[in-house]
Amino acid sequence: MLKVKQVSKVYEGKLTYRALTDIDLSVEDNEFVGIMGPSGSGKTTLLNIIATIDEPTTGEVTINGENPHLLKKEDLAKFRRRELGFVFQDFNLLHTLTVEENIVLPLTLDGKKVKEMKEKAYQFADKLGITEIMKKRTYEISGGQAQRAAVARAMIHSPQLLLADEPTGNLDSRSSKDVMEMLASLNQNEQTTMLLVTHDAQAASYCDRVVFIRDGKFYSEIHRGDNRQAFFQKIIDTLSLMGGDANDLSSVRV
Amino acid sequence: MTFRQFAFNNVIRNKRLYAAYFLTSLFTVMVFFTFSIFAFHPVLSGENMNGYVSIGMNVASGIIYVFSFFFVLYSMSSFLQSRKKEFGLLMIQGMSMKQIRLMVFLENMFIGFFATLGGIVGGLVFAKGILLIAENVLIIDDELPFYFPNQAILLTFGSFIVLFFLISLFVSYILRSRKLINLIKGDKQSKGEPKANLFLTLSAVLLLGTGYTIALLVEGLEVVAALLPVVLLVIIGTYLLFTQLSVFVIRRLKKQEQFFWHKTNMILLSDLSFRMKDNARTFFLVAIISTVAFCAIGSLYGFQSYLTAGTKEQTPYTITYTDAENGGEANASLIEETLEAEQLEADGERIELRYYEKSDQSLVLIAKQSDYNRFAALLSQETIHVSDGSPVLIRTGLILFEDEHAGSSEAEVLENAALELKGGSKLEPNQLVESDVLPGSAGNYYYVVSDHDFENLPVPSSEQSYYAWQERNGESISVEASEKLDQEVTGGFITNVSYQEYILNKIYGPILFVGLFIGIVFFVSAGSFLYFRLYSDVDEDKRKFQAITKMGLTEKELKKVLNRQTLILFFAPILVALIHGAVALTALSHLFFYNLFIESVTVLSLFTAIQIVYFFIVRFYYTKQVKAALQ
Repeated sequence: MLKVKQVSKVYEGKLTYRALTDIDLSVEDNEFVGIMGPSGSGKTTLLNIIATIDEPTTGEVTINGENPHLLKKEDLAKFRRRELGFVFQDFNLLHTLTVEENIVLPLTLDGKKVKEMKEKAYQFADKLGITEIMKKRTYEISGGQAQRAAVARAMIHSPQLLLADEPTGNLDSRSSKDVMEMLASLNQNEQTTMLLVTHDAQAASYCDRVVFIRDGKFYSEIHRGDNRQAFFQKIIDTLSLMGGDANDLSSVRV
Repeated sequence: MTFRQFAFNNVIRNKRLYAAYFLTSLFTVMVFFTFSIFAFHPVLSGENMNGYVSIGMNVASGIIYVFSFFFVLYSMSSFLQSRKKEFGLLMIQGMSMKQIRLMVFLENMFIGFFATLGGIVGGLVFAKGILLIAENVLIIDDELPFYFPNQAILLTFGSFIVLFFLISLFVSYILRSRKLINLIKGDKQSKGEPKANLFLTLSAVLLLGTGYTIALLVEGLEVVAALLPVVLLVIIGTYLLFTQLSVFVIRRLKKQEQFFWHKTNMILLSDLSFRMKDNARTFFLVAIISTVAFCAIGSLYGFQSYLTAGTKEQTPYTITYTDAENGGEANASLIEETLEAEQLEADGERIELRYYEKSDQSLVLIAKQSDYNRFAALLSQETIHVSDGSPVLIRTGLILFEDEHAGSSEAEVLENAALELKGGSKLEPNQLVESDVLPGSAGNYYYVVSDHDFENLPVPSSEQSYYAWQERNGESISVEASEKLDQEVTGGFITNVSYQEYILNKIYGPILFVGLFIGIVFFVSAGSFLYFRLYSDVDEDKRKFQAITKMGLTEKELKKVLNRQTLILFFAPILVALIHGAVALTALSHLFFYNLFIESVTVLSLFTAIQIVYFFIVRFYYTKQVKAALQ
């Protein structure tokens, strides 16, 4: 459903910087793909290009055969709102809204009926186990709860593609595990295609496939077999082979 | 780098951060300074001016000073709130709390010193410019020359250095020992949503309601008595309106999911309720300042038009001459000569006005039909026919005299106007006519009887010769000729409307101008306070819209939210001020029994128009800045 063809990104400026070089990536329907690489490898740039937040210098991105980068500004915003879901490292919840209000925000912008929004919000809150905190403010809940609320917000409009940028980066190991399990089960049950950018090998081990990039170029990819533990070990091995920063391994929590 | 240099560099190299606070202070100083320029102005504070005016101006500058103190204190403390993280960083580097206090103190004194200087220089330039315009527009005759206001400069400089010194001391107290971790996390902690107290919310409604009701009901001199209590009620009510009632209403709206969850309402209202705590104080200040501006200008303008209208209504003729002593033929011919010399085509008439004593010893005019009709013809007005035994009552409707039958129906007026003269003859009028053909007497009424009845009237109490000339083409006598006439004609009494208006404008010009000027300065500073309030949230807005745009917010929706946000900020306080102003001007018109509707509408709509222009300018720049952050 997602095809990235020969995408390169060059940041012009006082110091021209080549962030991505000829990246090819193809994601099937309902697949859960992880993108890993050392700091500065261009993973987030790639995710931003797919998310239509950034534009590729050359190459093209198609989602279900359509190139969103050709859309007009207004339509692009609506495309993001309707077809994509986002989960960020710092949650990006609005602190002036309650959890419930944060979850329904994408739907309110589209002028949906209150009843319908409420139904959907509680449906996802139930799946993510955050029904009790729906009326709370974002500063009254834990990081794990905040990220689950953010996942609910990303899923409420049933997007075709969910993009997660370091969703476990600000969480403790327990919450990380919870959030990744939720994402994996949503991927199974809601038939949502997911793309995850992470440093965390543990988080990446929930994916069906992990793509490694280094210095803006494709490095390798590995598929998950039946065993998540073995997959995790393979990821660690690839990371150490790739010789990224030493602190990439520090986030390993077994 | 010494510690002092560090504090100064902190300010100078961080201009943008300090700009809003600096400009707020500068504007506050400028308001105070321009006000004191006029309070100390030799023409205005000397013998030429009514003593009450200068007392009033001194009281007003005292009030401005107190307001300035709280406003500067408030903007300083909110400015420091946004710098918590910076203080935390400095403390990590090993700065002691004492040193931070010293740094804030030095910074604040530095800003305060330059804000005071800047305010004085700005005020001088502004005042000079306005004076130049005023001399050309108003009839002032170089009566308001620009002077170098040593006294005002000293006063402003002295009082604001003291003010900033006190605030600097106060502010270092605000920064009392805080835990380092709280400072570093400073901007991540939410201040919490303000809550409304039901009792105070109801009080707001009640206070404003009572204030308005009293202001609208009182008439005449009661208005003066009611002034202070009403002002107090309305000021407290306005404060509660913004701090309580507005929060209450917003929270109510937020509970209405049908409304709150509709499109961009959620983004707009959630922030509004959080910011209401900060907004309320600015709104309150702006509303009160603008109300003062509206009232000052409205009442000065209204008072002028009241006096002008009064002068105009004295007589409809180009010029009249009244002589109670000796017929006044000599003066009348002098006037005729002047009219001829001025090449004015004027027709003249003469009448002996006979006044009779009423039972309450006041005098009333009784004229005969033929005399009345001669004068009516002069004005090309309708003549009247009076039959024997049925006199006509004429109502002059002069606004400067109190109408003794005000509010009564025509039949009642006629019945009450029945007159019994000494010597037994009775006048029972059976017709009421409105006209200004003959000069009225106190009480606004006079009688016209038939020529036959007039012969049978007893001897009048007093008699006056009255001459009136009417220019055929509506032209008036030149100022020079009027001045000459004024000096040469002695004994009698000339009414020369255009000249009297000229004199009135000449005396009133400076007062009107000062009022206008002060009103405009107030209004401009009120607008600036709103501007700074808006800009203190710009970083938070940028962050918020960055987050929402990633999820998909169209440019149209962004503009809609920003538009409404700015709209509320700019018009909520002004709307309140407009209503306050309208009520106050209505009360004023009750004081004089004179309708100030047109004047009020003129003044209020002028201010609204300025505010609309201001709104468009600020919205343009704000939207541009937020959009730039989203690229």
